[in-house]
Amino acid sequence: MIVCSRCSKDNQDHYKFCLGCGAELPRASGKPRSSSTDTPPGGSSGSGRSTNAPRARAARGEALASAPQMDLEPTPMQASRPEPVQVAQSDSLPPELAPMEDQTSPCPHCGAGVPENFRFCHVCGHDLHDEGGAQAAAHAPAERTSAPAVAEAPKRASMRARLILIQPDGSEGEMFPLAEGPTLIGRSSGGIFANDAYLSPEHAEFRFEDDQLVVKDMESLNGIYIRIEPDVPIELFDGSIFRVGQEILRFDGPTAPEPAADGTQHMGSPHRGYLGRISLLVGRETTGNSYPIPPQGIHLGRERGDVVFPEDGYVSGLHCRVHSEVGHVFLTDIGSSNGTFVRVSNESFVPQGTFVLMGQQLFRAEY
Amino acid sequence: MEQARNYVCTECASPVPSGHKFCGACGAGVPHEAQTLETKFFGALQMPGKARLIIVRGDEAMGEGLSYLLQATEHIAGREADQIPFPSDTWLSPRHANFLYRGEKLVVRDEGSLNGVYIRIRGAAPIKVGDHFLCGQQLFRVDATPRDTSGPEADQTYFYSSPKRPSAFRVTQVLEGGMDGIVCCAHEHAVHIGREECDINFPDDVYLSPRHARVEMSGESLELIDESSQNGTYVRIRGERELSHGDYLFLGRNLLRVEVTA
Repeated sequence: MIVCSRCSKDNQDHYKFCLGCGAELPRASGKPRSSSTDTPPGGSSGSGRSTNAPRARAARGEALASAPQMDLEPTPMQASRPEPVQVAQSDSLPPELAPMEDQTSPCPHCGAGVPENFRFCHVCGHDLHDEGGAQAAAHAPAERTSAPAVAEAPKRASMRARLILIQPDGSEGEMFPLAEGPTLIGRSSGGIFANDAYLSPEHAEFRFEDDQLVVKDMESLNGIYIRIEPDVPIELFDGSIFRVGQEILRFDGPTAPEPAADGTQHMGSPHRGYLGRISLLVGRETTGNSYPIPPQGIHLGRERGDVVFPEDGYVSGLHCRVHSEVGHVFLTDIGSSNGTFVRVSNESFVPQGTFVLMGQQLFRAEY
Repeated sequence: MEQARNYVCTECASPVPSGHKFCGACGAGVPHEAQTLETKFFGALQMPGKARLIIVRGDEAMGEGLSYLLQATEHIAGREADQIPFPSDTWLSPRHANFLYRGEKLVVRDEGSLNGVYIRIRGAAPIKVGDHFLCGQQLFRVDATPRDTSGPEADQTYFYSSPKRPSAFRVTQVLEGGMDGIVCCAHEHAVHIGREECDINFPDDVYLSPRHARVEMSGESLELIDESSQNGTYVRIRGERELSHGDYLFLGRNLLRVEVTA
């Protein structure tokens, strides 16, 4: 809980601005937003992260507390929520990915300090096993399945485009090159993706089709989201999934059971010509709160609109709307700070400059 | 001068005390009518133990205030019923409900109708997962919280779920036609329903009170509580339900009041 120094309202730890008065909140909580995104690019951070987790976290907390507060717009959205990452780091990561000891040795490729039990450099994805590290091989379990070859693919291929990591404070971070041919991205491709527990081992594939970058969802668990342009309506279909702040929402078209064979109709609340409904996705097939969409549409926002998310600091006051035009249903971002993202259904073009959300990380595609 | 207080024998003009079958003075028989005299009701509606149903609100074809006297032992109500017909209400099954007497008691039995029979609760009533209830023009169903399906994959990929908080149960609005409408997961063990300032709000439902009703988890069980609303809260009966004077029932769009003469 962060207490606002201006109006004394209690705010959740991850809020950047006070819900009561809008004042910028001190980022007092030393919790990392995610394992990867708060790590600046370069080798220096590698040694910090390779020490045991509590120390690393404390160090980062101090650094944040002493840093001058930046006077930014609300920063671009990060997908991360810290809790699962911490769990993943401490308990649930496969043994070959969990740092086992404090001793590190420098990566031959990028110089980062890599824990002795790692087979791949966690900063650049370099295959340490290739260097003939017999010690590393001895530590590595034999049942490792993900193919290391993918990690090297982008380096070998000629660079056609790049994904630029957008860090929690809005600045640009690491860059991931994309080749002309297919580039597979996922947890198994190592590098900045290796520690993202929300990425499937094989998550997304980027390729060029003529002059357009195309992304394909490799049947990943959490999907790929593309930020839609403000004020440009995007059509929603039955089952379309979109993301607002930290909320995953699904649109379902209107469905109704058949009337009974004897002509009796299903009793219920007045049906005001609803276009379908949106539901909060809280599991693979599980939804939480849901709202039907009346013909005049609905607005979504943190504090304004028909459906509000008062506890999600990543949602703008008024964020987007779902509305109908000539019998079709559309989603329109109405100038939100962090954007509205639509989940890619199988494949999608990625225009130059598009923001792409995969796992816990936000990228911008440049080509 | 005063009037004779008893039956007077038509043969000898002697007074005959009540209960005697023959005149003590002359032996003439007392007529049968004079022996079995008892007070009658002005109308059948006054007959004790018999109930009637008054249509408080009906659809277009049913006049408000129309009443049915339940004189037989069973009375079928439905879209195609003879005794209590509601021919124009498509929310009623052809044979919807049966009003019948069990001994002295009037009960209503759901005849396996599609949409059921709703009774106005008095204050609070227990409610279970799967039960339906009415507030104003709105129909709701109480649902269990579904099993969590947001665990990690076998390959250790975490499922990204929207932020969620524990919820003991949920209330789902059911739209006419059968589609689900608003779903509200209980927060802090209760879901409030009303026109404004509630968890589920219907600002344009003029039959709702501002704070109308709530579903609340108390201990292990759920309770439907009417918050002294003007028009009441109705719960769908399971099987049959004993009725008493002053009960209100919804059958489809029709609201009925039960009157039982003591």
